[in-house]
Amino acid sequence: MKNFCRIAMLALVVSLMATSVLAQDEAPAAALTNLTDGVGSISVGSSSWSDFTALTLIPGSGLFGVKATANNLYIGFVGGSTADVGNMVLYKTAPSSSTVLSAKKVTLGGVANPTINLTSTSVCPNQPVSLANPCIIKLDPIKGALSTLNDYYFAVYFVNDSNNGSISAARTSYGQGSLSGWYVGGDQTKIKAKKTLPSGSNGGAPYFFLYVENQ
Amino acid sequence: MKIFRKFAVLTLLIFAVTAAGFSQVPPAKAPLNLVRGVVGPVSSSNSWSGYSTLNQIPGGGLIPVTSSTAAFYLGFTAGTTTDISNMVLYTTARNSLKITAVTPVTYGGVSNPSINLGSTTVCKVQPLSAASPCIVRLDPVTVTLSALSDYYLVVYFKANDSNNSAVGATVPNNYMSSLTGWYIAADETQLTVGQSIPSGLSQSPYFLMFVRSN
Repeated sequence: MKNFCRIAMLALVVSLMATSVLAQDEAPAAALTNLTDGVGSISVGSSSWSDFTALTLIPGSGLFGVKATANNLYIGFVGGSTADVGNMVLYKTAPSSSTVLSAKKVTLGGVANPTINLTSTSVCPNQPVSLANPCIIKLDPIKGALSTLNDYYFAVYFVNDSNNGSISAARTSYGQGSLSGWYVGGDQTKIKAKKTLPSGSNGGAPYFFLYVENQ
Repeated sequence: MKIFRKFAVLTLLIFAVTAAGFSQVPPAKAPLNLVRGVVGPVSSSNSWSGYSTLNQIPGGGLIPVTSSTAAFYLGFTAGTTTDISNMVLYTTARNSLKITAVTPVTYGGVSNPSINLGSTTVCKVQPLSAASPCIVRLDPVTVTLSALSDYYLVVYFKANDSNNSAVGATVPNNYMSSLTGWYIAADETQLTVGQSIPSGLSQSPYFLMFVRSN
């Protein structure tokens, strides 16, 4: 029993020492890493989004296999002063299928229908927002890993108002990367499981949507 | 001192439990993409009796993932059964058509499987269509794909076979993949080292949708 206690005490000392050493420096933050091949240069804008939904395909076949506990989606604006988002969701489908398996709410500042003040320097540091000064916004992290065995569709609906009439989506004129997108009139963010996504996916560059990253 | 001893014993126990926990078998790894596969909606290309589909996996398009295996995923948009006569993976030097290695590819352990596409255990969503393609994973091949080589997956569908006449292949609508392919009305799976891959490379892969680690 004495020997056992000695070993136990040794373990405690080792444990304390290890804890002490580990507490010296905080582990370096993991580097910002792309989870898929994002958009290249932002080269064009696409205006007038009142009562439109922008849909972006994030294909499982384009995922790099980077381990990430959260997915951060980035959207970009190249014009406008306020964007009034009606709703944002991330749909999941089987590969190359348009049938929705599930939908997950996407938020900014904790809400799925944020009003984004594009003239605020705390939101868009480089003013005025333009092609030369695109405003890139990180949405709230989405928990859970994206699977190579599924496709994902990000959908953002802009309500029917004058603010959204003057916003402009960041876009590239080239089909770079794994992401592609299209747009459809009306609110396409309320599609239920087993229902079909609107057609129009044609490999064109996405609207607004820029990157999927681990932070 | 007694309390200290108790605390020390507790610590040792926690150590032991933690060590045991870490020694458990790790969860199965999710398949990783070895190359950018087919993206988005697909169309259908039908009637494959007596045809070989040839699909190029270019070394130049490989994602730097370390894997000693490669699994090929075939997409079907129509049919109830497909009768495959043979499947192989050819290796060439990058941008060369001269074959340097031939590797058998199997499904269920055989190179000439009949795949029951009408079974919901094989294809969950019935009937097959371009909107809901059935994606079949072939047996993983033991090969470490190299950026210095190109690879060609060739599948020959049995000739004079009514099943294969009703089979539909996935063809991507978008040219966003690293995969390309073409087809030839002959058995192109019998080529040997030193021979050349037949020409015809075009833009779309037929059947082949993904190449993953497993």
